[in-house]
Amino acid sequence: MKIICLIKFIPDVEDFKYDYERNVLIRENMKQILNPEDACAVAFALTVKRFYPSTVIEVLTMGPQSVSSKMEEILRLDVDHATLITDKAFIGSDTYATSRVLATYLKSSSVDLILSGTHTLDGDTSHVPAQIAEWLELPHVSNIISINMNSMDSGRLVLSVDHDQTIMTFAVPYPSVLSLSKDSAFKMPYVRYDDLNKEVSHRLKVIDCAQLGLRKEEVGFDGSKTQVVSTFVKTMTKKDKTEVKIDEAGLQSVIDLLKEKGVLA
Amino acid sequence: MKKVLLYLDKNRPQDLSLFAASKMLVKDEACIISAIGYQEDLPLGNSVYDEVMIIDEKHVMAYDTMNLTALLKQIQHVHHFDIILFPSTPLGRILAPRLAIALHVGLVADVTGIDAHDGIVELIRPAYSGKLMAKILIKGEGPLMMTLRPNIFTYHSEDVKQTVYQTLKKHEPKASGIILLETKQKVAGKDIRDSKVLISGGGGVLHQFNRLEDLARVLNAVVSASRRVVDSGVAHRKIQVGQSGKTVSPKLYIALGISGSVQHIEGLKNVETIIAVNTNKNAPICSLATLVVEGDAIEFIEKLLVKIKENNLNFKEETQ
Repeated sequence: MKIICLIKFIPDVEDFKYDYERNVLIRENMKQILNPEDACAVAFALTVKRFYPSTVIEVLTMGPQSVSSKMEEILRLDVDHATLITDKAFIGSDTYATSRVLATYLKSSSVDLILSGTHTLDGDTSHVPAQIAEWLELPHVSNIISINMNSMDSGRLVLSVDHDQTIMTFAVPYPSVLSLSKDSAFKMPYVRYDDLNKEVSHRLKVIDCAQLGLRKEEVGFDGSKTQVVSTFVKTMTKKDKTEVKIDEAGLQSVIDLLKEKGVLA
Repeated sequence: MKKVLLYLDKNRPQDLSLFAASKMLVKDEACIISAIGYQEDLPLGNSVYDEVMIIDEKHVMAYDTMNLTALLKQIQHVHHFDIILFPSTPLGRILAPRLAIALHVGLVADVTGIDAHDGIVELIRPAYSGKLMAKILIKGEGPLMMTLRPNIFTYHSEDVKQTVYQTLKKHEPKASGIILLETKQKVAGKDIRDSKVLISGGGGVLHQFNRLEDLARVLNAVVSASRRVVDSGVAHRKIQVGQSGKTVSPKLYIALGISGSVQHIEGLKNVETIIAVNTNKNAPICSLATLVVEGDAIEFIEKLLVKIKENNLNFKEETQ
């Protein structure tokens, strides 16, 4: 079985820094992390490989050249191949252009399962996996919370999906695009101590726009269907408020408010 | 004359936010608003919609987004809608992007604001976990497509039209291969949306999150959490407040160690009173609070519990 995991390295949103004067995100020195739900996808692929050692796992990302060291870290797990699609021409790609680039690469690969996270923490549109499924004309299931490993051999994969008020269980065919939820139980393992400095760069493939056979006007700003006009930080309307500390007087004002609101008597 | 298509999802059948948003998009221009969905999710009789299209479950199921997209594409080629709107529900979030590719148009996700002026439509949505807002323009001929966060746009009107109903016939789906084996209703716990008092925890109480229950018990409240806590795996997603969680409307919201990302605050639109406990009294949530307690939230819980006991206070039964 061949599995390709779509992954994205994102700025650590907890480490968010903003230049309020120029109204731009400060990207310098921002820590890049593997999007948490994409890690679930890789972890599931590794679980499959433990059950079925002949499984071949490839991780695929589109991003700047600088993420190659992050890709190598993932190659130090039991991941067989990593592909980084990178080109200056891709800068400014929206989800339409991004999914087109990734789908172009995937069209040339033979694959049984395409895995991803349900959403990323930075853009949080959830578009790309669904859009790739459409480009490739494949079924797509999202918000996956559990997968029945025993069903792997049956020709269809049995999995459960969180659908807000219901949990739905499906049998999905191969190949399909499957997006995992953070609530799935798959956790990334640590790199074995002996493998920490393992040489893996020969298993990292780097591909550019020309190699994919895409024209520059099909990608980046020109190939996008949407455009970010501006970004800003929402300012809150100030309210009359009382400020206290955790001391006798402060706690008393909390109690008074709880009484006033009819919570305590 | 603008033509608008709204996809009505199972999860929010009575939600008029798509209708409200379409009114903001077309402004004063004359328009025909059509709704599409499955029988059980649609209104009956006269409604706010000019037209209702019913999808036949025998032809295509909602979870089969590949074939549902093909059906919607076919409908678009017949009707040429100017605007197509989806709710940001689990289904809407995977159906809309597929249709956008099928129609080769741009798509904006989770829109929370619409700025339509001089023939230009700028869409506002949160990014970076709500820490940043982005204003986005859709290029090209259209149709204009977006998904909208439920409960953000509201519409109040008694206007009812003579709705025309039609069942969509003749759609030959390809075999998608997805088979539905089972549908289970989730066990209904106490819904944070129904609680009058919420004790909500964020990053500041991440490591002692269970302590919130102690206070909740005494105040007869329900515990909720910020996305940070949910993403860390400490709390379940069903108790998450905010844009990617739930919009809540308690009369009292006690925010413990929550800094208050824009995304979190989006979920607090209808809260009456907020008590914010934070080591940083300038945290964004504090500007929304009636009472700001500067300090460690766990220490706050401990001391407040002692004080409540000393004063022999009890919760009022009707708070829930």
